[in-house]
Amino acid sequence: MGVIVKKVELSWLDRTYVWPVMKGMAITFEHFIKQLFTATSKRYTIQYPEMKKEMPEGYRGLHELKRFEDGAIKCVACFMCQEACPARCISIEAEEFSDLNITQGFEEKRPAIFKIDMLRCIYCGMCEEACPKDAIWLRKDYEVAAYDRLSMQFGKWDLMNTYAKADGKDRISQDPTPTVPRRTIVM
Amino acid sequence: MDKFASLLHLTPAILWMVIKVVIVFAGVMSLAAIFTWVERRGSAMIQDRIGPNRAALFGKIRIIGLAQILADGIKMFFKEDLIPTDANRKLFWLAPFLAFVPALMGFAIIPFGKSFVSGGVSYHLSVLDPGNGMGMLYPLAIGGMAVYGVLVAAWSSNNKWSILGGMRASAAMVSYEIGMSLAVVSIFMTTGGYDPSEIIGTQGHLPWNWNIVHQPLGFIVFFTCLFAETNRLPFDFAEGESEIVAGFNTEFGSMKYSLMALAEYSHMMTASALIATLYFGGWQVPFVKDPTVMLSVACFLVKLVFFAWVFVWIRWTVPRFRYDQLMHLGWKVMLPMSMGNLVFHAWRMSQGH
Repeated sequence: MGVIVKKVELSWLDRTYVWPVMKGMAITFEHFIKQLFTATSKRYTIQYPEMKKEMPEGYRGLHELKRFEDGAIKCVACFMCQEACPARCISIEAEEFSDLNITQGFEEKRPAIFKIDMLRCIYCGMCEEACPKDAIWLRKDYEVAAYDRLSMQFGKWDLMNTYAKADGKDRISQDPTPTVPRRTIVM
Repeated sequence: MDKFASLLHLTPAILWMVIKVVIVFAGVMSLAAIFTWVERRGSAMIQDRIGPNRAALFGKIRIIGLAQILADGIKMFFKEDLIPTDANRKLFWLAPFLAFVPALMGFAIIPFGKSFVSGGVSYHLSVLDPGNGMGMLYPLAIGGMAVYGVLVAAWSSNNKWSILGGMRASAAMVSYEIGMSLAVVSIFMTTGGYDPSEIIGTQGHLPWNWNIVHQPLGFIVFFTCLFAETNRLPFDFAEGESEIVAGFNTEFGSMKYSLMALAEYSHMMTASALIATLYFGGWQVPFVKDPTVMLSVACFLVKLVFFAWVFVWIRWTVPRFRYDQLMHLGWKVMLPMSMGNLVFHAWRMSQGH
């Protein structure tokens, strides 16, 4: 298949080369001046440590384990996320607790250990989708980095406090209700 | 001021010379260093970027990134100085100097301010006093030397990319020198002499008497050829990053590379000083008949910096030429144009203008 290449006929002014160069210089100078007098916050470049990019809706960043108003974890340790996780980075150990109250929806199971290996996590959001209780969210923080491997193992309290500062909530490190020893049912 | 004058009279001629040399070369070198930053920052602004603004003195004082020059220097200084195994060691060592020294030497002839008389002795603000017999021929000859820097650097490093860059750049430089020289010759003709102070003197203080108005064609040729001469984009054939790695300085590292880069910018300074002297009245201040010495120096500096900025500006506007296009432009356009310019002015002079 032949393609007809359309040749651009240059005017004599353009063929002098000097005039087009001057036109080009005008364009670059316009850009130069515009960029010079644009406030830093309005430039395209995001100067990272000082300025941070506002991530779009639906961005899947660092996880948060949601909590009730009294600080109880929403997670019921159903292991759905652990099953859904394609990277196998979630590990949960469940425990029972007493003192049921309304905010916790009369659940009596919660994770004793909820660990996400951030080095393995691929931020696919499957855990978020699998969760029946809306207890795990992938939110907009993208600065997940550490100096050693161990600090990339996020535990239950790390995950519950990941967005505490951004949301202006208190950091918590204790469940509001105590755990109870595992009941054994005598058959 | 009297104190300064008496100090000046007590200064022996040789010391005055040394002072001039230091002022000129330190000035040109620091301007060149600053222009490495201007180039990076300016190109960033032209391309809607920001450019190097992070380097700070003591990690705190962030003078719009000017500390970048210092940081670059320190970094270059502490880099390992490698010489390729099969390189010609002597020439490899010599090449950066061969590139750098001619770049600075050309500046010696250029008057960077008005000559003044103090205590019956006249002082000239140029390293080589007027009437030395070399005049403007000197920077042209030294400009020819610049080919050595590129070629020796390319050849000695024993690298095919280097030699490709060096050969084609030297070919370009040599062929553009002819057009450039012819453009300058027509200025010599209309001036009636080739001393830079004479050229500046005949141009006078009125902008419409400057050579740019009388010989716009010659200016275009001269300016274009200077780009080839200083090896800057659009005629960046010595380097040509997209084609031959880094051209003639592929194998150079640490301070050697730094010297090469500084040589390019010193070249740029000398070139813009030449443009200012030949076509824009040198130190002449527009519309001021008898400027003070300081004013004339300041005016020269403004012109110098402006043209150096134009070099940067054009670099980020015009894309690189192909080699055949370059040769076509050099031999078939620039040379006939400057020849025509020369003949036209010769004819005009014969008509008694």
